[in-house]
Parts: sequence; C-alpha cells; structure tokens
Amino acid sequence: MNKVHSRRAGFIERTLIEINSTLEQSVFAESIARRDGLLQSIDARLKVLTTLLLLLAINLSHSLAVLAGLYGLALLLAILSAVPAGFFIKRVWLFIPFFTGIVVLPVFFITPGPALVHLPLGVVITQTGAQAALFLLLRVATSVSMAILLVLCTSWNTLLKALGVLRLPGVVILILEMTYRYIHLLLHTANDMFLSRQSRLIRRPSGAEERRMAAANAGVLLGKSLQVSHDVYLSMQSRGFRSYPRTLDRFRLQKLDLWYGAAILALAIVAIWLGR
Amino acid sequence: MSFKPFRLRIPKGPALYYLVFAAWLVTTAMHIPDGYLSPVTSAIMFVLVLPFWALGVQKLRQKANARNIPLIALFAALSFVIMMFNVPLPGGTTGHAVGGALAAIVLGPEIASIAISTALAIQAIFFGDGGILAFGANSFNMAVVLPYISYAIYQAISRNAPLVSRRRIFAAGLGGWTGLTTAAFFAGVEFGIQPILFHTANGTPLYAPYPLAVAIPAMVVPHALIASVIEGVVTALVLAYLQRANQPALEMVQKTGHVAEAAGPVRLRTLWFALGVLVMATPLGLLAPGTAWGEWGATELASLGLGFIPEGLARLSGLWGAPLRDYDLPALGNASLAYVLSALLGVAVIAIVFWLFGMLVQRRALAGVKVRKKLHE
Amino acid sequence: MNDVKFQDGLIFEVSDLYYSYDGRRPALEDFHMTVRAGECMAVLGSNGSGKSTLLKILDGLYFAGKGCVRAFGQELTEEAFQDDDFNAAFRRRVGLVFQDSDVQLFLPSVWEEVAFAPLQLSVGREEVLERVESALSTLNIHKLHDRAPHQLSGGEKKRVALASVLSLAPEVWLLDEPSAGLDPRSVRWLTEFMLAQGQASKSIVFATHDLQLVQSVASRACVLDEEHHLLAEGAAADILANEQILLAANLI
Repeated sequence: MNKVHSRRAGFIERTLIEINSTLEQSVFAESIARRDGLLQSIDARLKVLTTLLLLLAINLSHSLAVLAGLYGLALLLAILSAVPAGFFIKRVWLFIPFFTGIVVLPVFFITPGPALVHLPLGVVITQTGAQAALFLLLRVATSVSMAILLVLCTSWNTLLKALGVLRLPGVVILILEMTYRYIHLLLHTANDMFLSRQSRLIRRPSGAEERRMAAANAGVLLGKSLQVSHDVYLSMQSRGFRSYPRTLDRFRLQKLDLWYGAAILALAIVAIWLGR
Repeated sequence: MSFKPFRLRIPKGPALYYLVFAAWLVTTAMHIPDGYLSPVTSAIMFVLVLPFWALGVQKLRQKANARNIPLIALFAALSFVIMMFNVPLPGGTTGHAVGGALAAIVLGPEIASIAISTALAIQAIFFGDGGILAFGANSFNMAVVLPYISYAIYQAISRNAPLVSRRRIFAAGLGGWTGLTTAAFFAGVEFGIQPILFHTANGTPLYAPYPLAVAIPAMVVPHALIASVIEGVVTALVLAYLQRANQPALEMVQKTGHVAEAAGPVRLRTLWFALGVLVMATPLGLLAPGTAWGEWGATELASLGLGFIPEGLARLSGLWGAPLRDYDLPALGNASLAYVLSALLGVAVIAIVFWLFGMLVQRRALAGVKVRKKLHE
Repeated sequence: MNDVKFQDGLIFEVSDLYYSYDGRRPALEDFHMTVRAGECMAVLGSNGSGKSTLLKILDGLYFAGKGCVRAFGQELTEEAFQDDDFNAAFRRRVGLVFQDSDVQLFLPSVWEEVAFAPLQLSVGREEVLERVESALSTLNIHKLHDRAPHQLSGGEKKRVALASVLSLAPEVWLLDEPSAGLDPRSVRWLTEFMLAQGQASKSIVFATHDLQLVQSVASRACVLDEEHHLLAEGAAADILANEQILLAANLI
C-alpha cells in the first residue's frame, strides 16, 4: 500500500481502498472454512440443524451453570475446528455482548434482592441483579458464538445450499447465492473506480470535491448494479431457467456426521433438562 | 416458570441515574439480538409474522411485473439505508428510523413487509445485526407493525384527497411517526414481558431484565421524540418529492390498496440518485459520539455512538480471519467510510435481490423494449 | 420442436430485422442473415454496431420489433417461447456465451455453474454429474471445480463460462466477443476450442472485431457498420480481403 500513501490522494479514498481490500481478502478468503477441523468436516445441513438446536438449548436454560457449560462447548468446538481461541473470543465479545454488557450494567445495582457486594458510596450490587445481568450476557455471548462458528467453518456456498434443510424455497436460496456472488463483484468495481480516480489526481481534493466524487461513484455503482442484474437474468434464461430453480443436492451423510449429530443432540437434551 | 408478579421498586440516588441511562440504552436494541427474548416469545413472534409473509409473497406473485419490481427493490434498499441513519439520542446512544412507512405508501403494506424483511435478513446474515431466533420478532416489529400502521394512518387522513396534495404529505408524515412509534411500543412490550413471565424462583429475570414500566418508556419515548420524527419527516419529504417529480410511482397503490400498473414511466434514475445521495449523507449519522461514558478507545466510540454498520462491517471483516483494523485507524474518518461502503453494499445487494426475485416470479420472458425503456429512464 | 425437420439445414434465417431498445434509435435495421448447419459465421462490427443485440435476438432473449427471425424453421416470437416445451427444446440446442463472464457466472462455485444449465433442462441427476465432469475435463478446469468465480483469472473465467454452456451439449454456439480481454495463450486455446466444435459439426455464430480470430475459425462473415446496417455478407476470406468494407465499418 506504499504507492497509495505516497500519492497525494485524499485520506477518504485511501482508507476506503484499505477497508475495501481488507473486506475482499477477509470476507471471501474463507480461510478458516478450508482448514482441516472438526466442524469443517461435518455435513452443512447437520451443522445448521445442530446450531439451531444449541441456540434453543441456550435460550431455554434457567441455569447459569448450564449456560457457562454451553459456552465452554462453543469454545471446545472452536478449538477442535482450528479456530484460534483468542481470535474467537475477541470476535464474539467485542460486539453484541459488549453492547449488552452496557445495557445491563444498571441491573447489577437496581434489582432488589440480597446484597452481594458492598461498594463505596452506598452502592450495592445485589445477588439477583448480578444473576440477571449474567443470564443475559451469557445467553447473548453464547448464542453469538454458536452462530459465528457455523459461519466461520462453512463456506458460504455450502451454507446457503444447506439452508434448504429448513425448507426455505429454492428461489430464496438461489437469490441468496447470487447475492453472495455479486457483493464481491460490486466491491471490486467500487475498488477499481476509486483506484482509477486516484490515479488521475494531481493535488489533494478538497472535502467538498471528495464528497462530490464519492456521490458520483455511488451513482455509477448503483447504475451498474441495475445493469448487471438485468444481464444476469438474461444469462439465466439463456441456460433454461424458467420461474423456479432446480438444484442438485450433493450432501451425503457420513459416519462422522452421525456421531456428531448424536453427540450434540445428547448434549442439548442434557442441557435443556438440567437447565429447566 | 411461576407467575409471581415482578415488582421493581426504584431506589433513589445513583441507581436512579443509572436507570435513566439503562432506559435510553435499551432503545438501541430495535434490532433484537438472540438472548433477549425467551424461545417461547420468539416462537410466538414467528407465528404472528408468518401469515404476513405469506400474504406479501402472494401479492408479489400476483402484481409484480417488470416495472414495479425495481421500485420494490428501491424501497428495500431505502429501508436498509435509512436504518443506518443512527440518530443521536440523549444518554450517548442512538436510535434509527426504518423507511417502512414510505415503502408502505408506495408499494402497499403487504409488499413493503417483504421488502423490509429482506433488508432485515440481509442485515442479520451479512452484518450479524439481529438474532436468528429473534428474526420473527424483528420482522414483526419493523416489517409488519410499521408498514401496516403507517399505511392505515396515511389512508385515514388523506382519504380522497388528490394524489398531489399537501394533505397527503401531512398524512405521510404522521403515518411514519405513528408507525415507528408503535413498532417501538411492540418491541418494548416484547422486552418488558420477559422478566414478568420468565424468571427464576427468586425473581431473577432470565432474559431482558427490564420490566414493562422501564422497557416501554425506554423504547417509546426516544423514538417518539426523535427517531419516529425522522421517519415521519423523511416519509413526508420523499412523498413530496415524488408528487413533484414522479407521480406514476404514487399511482401504483390505488385506493383498494393493490399494487397496480404504473400509469407512466417511473423515473428510476432520479430515485436511485437520491438514494445515492442518502448513502453519501449517512456519515452525518455518525456525529453522536458517546462521550458521556468517559474515556473510550476508538472501537468503543465506534460501537457505542456510531451505530451498527461500522461494528457490523468490522465484524464482517474479522469474521473470516483479518485482524480488527479499527485499532489502527483514526476513529471518525474511517468509521464514516466503512459506514458509507456498507451502505453502498447493502443498497446494491438489495437491488439485486429484488430485481432477481422479480424476474424469478415471472413466467413470461421480458420483452426487450419494455426492459430497455426502464433502464434508460 | 425436436420433430420439425428444417429445410436445407438452415439453422438461422433472419430477414428484414428491425430492433430498437427505446423505440427511437434502432439497434439493428434491415438486417438479413442465414446460417447453415456446420457453418462458423462471424458477425463483424465495431463497438456499438449491434452485434450483441443480434446474438441476444438469435438466442430468443429479445424479440424482433419488425421482420422475421427463424431458428430450425420456427419463428422466434415471445408467444412461442411461452410454451414450456418449445423453450426447453430451443434452450437445449442453442447456447450463448456472454461477453462479460461476470454476468455469465452468477453462482458461488464453478461446479454449480457448469451444472446449472443441464439441471434447469431436467436432465437426470446421474447424467448431470457425468456432463459436468466431462465439460470440466474438456476445458481442463477440473482443479477449479470448488473455487468461486471471483477467485479466477480472466482466462479461467472464460473457460468456466464455456464449460457452463458445454454441459448443455448445444448444436449451436453463440459467442459474444469471445476473445475480448484474453491473453494470447488463452486466445490460442479458444481458437482450438472453436475449431474442435466446428469439426464436431456444431454451428457457431460469433460477434467480434478481432480480425485475427475471424481468419482462424470463420467460414462465413457478415459486417455491420456503425449505423447498424448490414454492409456485407459472404465467405469469410472474401470479406477479410475487402479493405473498403472493413474501413467503412471501422474495423481497420
């Protein structure tokens, strides 16, 4: 990126390109999905179903201990699937649970109940408050962890096809598949537009100029996306598409899948029973 | 699960201060993540929203044709973008408008609900905003309550007023305001009943911990005062614009509430350009840093005050292996660009989704002339 | 449509074709063309002369404003295509490769792309699997089968695009600027591919302004000028030797 920085381009364009290329690499690299780990080897349809089952167990639990156990399960699955633990924990906790933590902060203090901790200035953390806060926090974090695991360890292509197990209409799945494909195309186009614009800059543009250029780029991008989607439809028609897509299911259950499915089912049942 | 009433006695002093903050904070959860609602509630919400989805899909199949579909896509995208406008609220957090009122007025509430649900689904899948079990509840609040209520108010007030009249503009504004506030009310109810219905033996809330007395005002008041006002104003302004510049778009929904053939060419290019401008303007929504909370690092500022897109984007980028970039970049500049890029992405994605969906439900091949005409407008 | 015996092995018969996108300026006007079985017809013209439009009309994606377009002896009209059997029969026999591979490739993996066409045309599961394998091998892209299209180079994408039509096993190939944006090595294998299809008695109609490609593979050619009119039609060698016409069409 050195060349980019040395040109006198506005920082807007520079950073947009940086973000753009990060997205391109990270979003579509699917590097973790290609690793040789436990979850990567499981049939995607089964993963969808087991994730839903675990989400159910997490959200049905009335026991903090069970919730903690389920979080532990998520961590274990992550490790077994070659997902770096530190990365995984950061990924989960730094967003929704973090936000939830803030939402829930007052609950520590205002929920009536026996005192747990006496802080200076007469502020008291109640036992019930701490429990309520922990319930929400753990639930949110563990739910997010399970969802992230599913998405990290399955390539988008396979995951979308696997949604068919939920009886989503084939049309919807086809749309999602094509959407995935064209996000990248648009990213690429936007990147190219900015790069080409930048290569023609002589001096640093003013803020107003930058905004105008950005607005023009947005217009072009939108126009292009309309054009592309029209042509894609022609292309689909040309290859025989009528009104609903026919698909080929290449999923095959293997022994590992059956063991995994049984194990998760058992764990989920135990968790639900223990946490009732 | 016992049904002992759960009474919250509000203690005085610092706890009250925190309570107020909590109340404002809860408003940021219009997109409800998993964990806030019990599975029973989530299931009930899915059951409630399903018939509306079915109705919307049925309407789409009946009435959709080459000219209407791009408009549907436009409104799904508008909805997506408007949801990114994070409006600063007291307490250092933000709420947002949805754009559902506008969609309901132009497309009719049935199809609008499909458009918004699509926007919500894309947010949930691509940006992780909104839970999976909670998708039914989110759709019900933002894709059913909002458009149907807005539409009802709009129709009730405008009655038989001519299509190009100020009465309709006012009706649209009020419809938008009422619709979003009602949606917020429903969300508040969904939150508020959790501690009442779902708690342990000693009264500890198991899900969202704030009872109705806190949750409802916490959701309704900030929306009524700010986010819904934005929704109303945006709806009214865009309707006024459509009255001036693109009347056929308004004629799509006649008194019977059915999406019909547009009377003349619908000038999409201008609407798309307006959308593009909106997208570029979204950084304005970023000017609400959460300084009330004291010293925070760049990321925290971004996730607290600046809405879900920068965090969603960072989440998306981190999701597949790249380290979090936020720590290296100066907060405002790059958050705003990540923001804009996400808006572009979301708009483009929705445009494609709907364009293609529209093609897919049709049985007839598009005649070349009709299609080309549309693209050149 | 499969039962109709067409006269004289005529694949396409176009007469007096008029087409306009916006009802004002024509994209094609007074166009005539005939393509017989086994021929390789080049449609020459500079950018914007209407070549792409012609191919889409030949593929039954757009329909003539005026004039008549026949394929296999049947007229191609919007009404005709509403019949499912007609549509399926036509789509099986004619394959179009778009100029922009990013438009052609819309699914998340190469394998799915190649499988799409036969699947839509109700080919049985086992046969689909066979056809995909065969198409991937013919184009030497087997190792790319689980890649996403955006991870491919231009040449690789073009091969995938061709494979996605090859799995149809069409009788007629319509190619829109097939050599555009390809590096020299890719152009060479494209040339070989087109020649191989010709030897297998397939008919080809391809739009291009690449005179080299025309020389290598075409048996016949027609030329469009920048005003969207037909300048000439005849044997490829004759057209290529006619500098006047090539100049008039802005090809040299």
